[in-house]
Amino acid sequence: MDGLAAGFPRSAVSRDESLAREFEQRLADCPKLAYRVALGVLHNTAEAEDVAQEAMLRAYCNFHRLRDRERFRGWLVRMAFRLALDRIRAKGRRERREHDVTRLLEEGQREANVENLIASREFERQVAQALDALPEKLRIVMVLAAIEGYNTREVAKLAGLPEGTVKSRLFLARKKLAESLQCLVKNTPAG
Amino acid sequence: MSCEKYSGWMTDAVLGELRAERESELLAHATECDSCRESLGRARQVREFVDRGVEALVAGEPSPQFSTHLRRRLAQKSEPQRSAWTAWAPVIAGALALAVVLAIMVARRPVLNESNPNIASAVNLDSAPQGAASVAGSRNAERTAHTRDSRRRAQTRATTTSPPEFIVPRGQLAAAAQLSAAINSGRVDGNQLLAAQHEYEKPLEVHLIEIAPLEIPALDEVTEKPASLIQF
Repeated sequence: MDGLAAGFPRSAVSRDESLAREFEQRLADCPKLAYRVALGVLHNTAEAEDVAQEAMLRAYCNFHRLRDRERFRGWLVRMAFRLALDRIRAKGRRERREHDVTRLLEEGQREANVENLIASREFERQVAQALDALPEKLRIVMVLAAIEGYNTREVAKLAGLPEGTVKSRLFLARKKLAESLQCLVKNTPAG
Repeated sequence: MSCEKYSGWMTDAVLGELRAERESELLAHATECDSCRESLGRARQVREFVDRGVEALVAGEPSPQFSTHLRRRLAQKSEPQRSAWTAWAPVIAGALALAVVLAIMVARRPVLNESNPNIASAVNLDSAPQGAASVAGSRNAERTAHTRDSRRRAQTRATTTSPPEFIVPRGQLAAAAQLSAAINSGRVDGNQLLAAQHEYEKPLEVHLIEIAPLEIPALDEVTEKPASLIQF
């Protein structure tokens, strides 16, 4: 990822060199963010990479149109989210079984049976399914809040929403997810 | 019954959205009720599962080949755009050339449409004096010429060296030409005509007419007719 900013073909960015440099500087830390947003929707690393790249390509081509450069991250995040949703719709695959997120929770302070549950692919599948069932406006705030532990203010900035709206949407999203995942916990022995 | 009430509060409580007094009430109840305590514990677990589950879903880094792929896609994206533009360039150039030719043809087209009887004809009165040419057109012609003239004013200004063009109503072209020829040959005095036209255009003067009062003759008492008309 470090070589990303250095190696862009300048001709594709813009004739304006300073604009290209500014874009490259911003882009250095953004691919990861776009990738994670896409991953939160698609649950597939290859497709998430593809969508993240597409989002950055679009951002690259339209960077000169962005008036407020401080909003670049939010702009990119929303673009990646939209593209990921479009990808799902285009393929008609609402429920995905083939996601390859294998790294799960590693903290070892909880009971072994609960950890096993969290680490299991079934749990992962259930969470993904519950997340997919959320309305889009709830899903984006939930995904953003889960990325690097962004707080409400940061999520609001990225999603381009008021903080109060983000707070209420996060609550609703968590409540719906909790309702969906409750059965998993009930079926798990408390240790 | 009370346990049912508290079960609805548990999710809100673990999400931090339950009102403070309700939360303390719930916690107080949970210390006494094993079932609710267990439910509250599960709700907390679920909350943790939700956050950690979603965090796990979005955790990860793009592959090391990510930047390579991105560079390649950027190069691919810029390539077809250029070739597509190049492919369309001759078509666009041809269309532009055609548009220029058409514009020139339209600009050089005769000013008036002969097929339309409502549109006046144009006549070029070579070297005709300004006054005579003005006379050549009737009032209608002048009116038509005025609208036409405003449209073509810029063009006329540009061609000040060419003989002036005047517009006459359709059907009066021959008459206008004859008049022009007569003025040029000196058979008709153009200035006189112009003066006559100016006279004609003057507003009408209203003169008061003196009318003598009507005399009513006295009526005869017997016949009730004017006395002067009575014949014996």
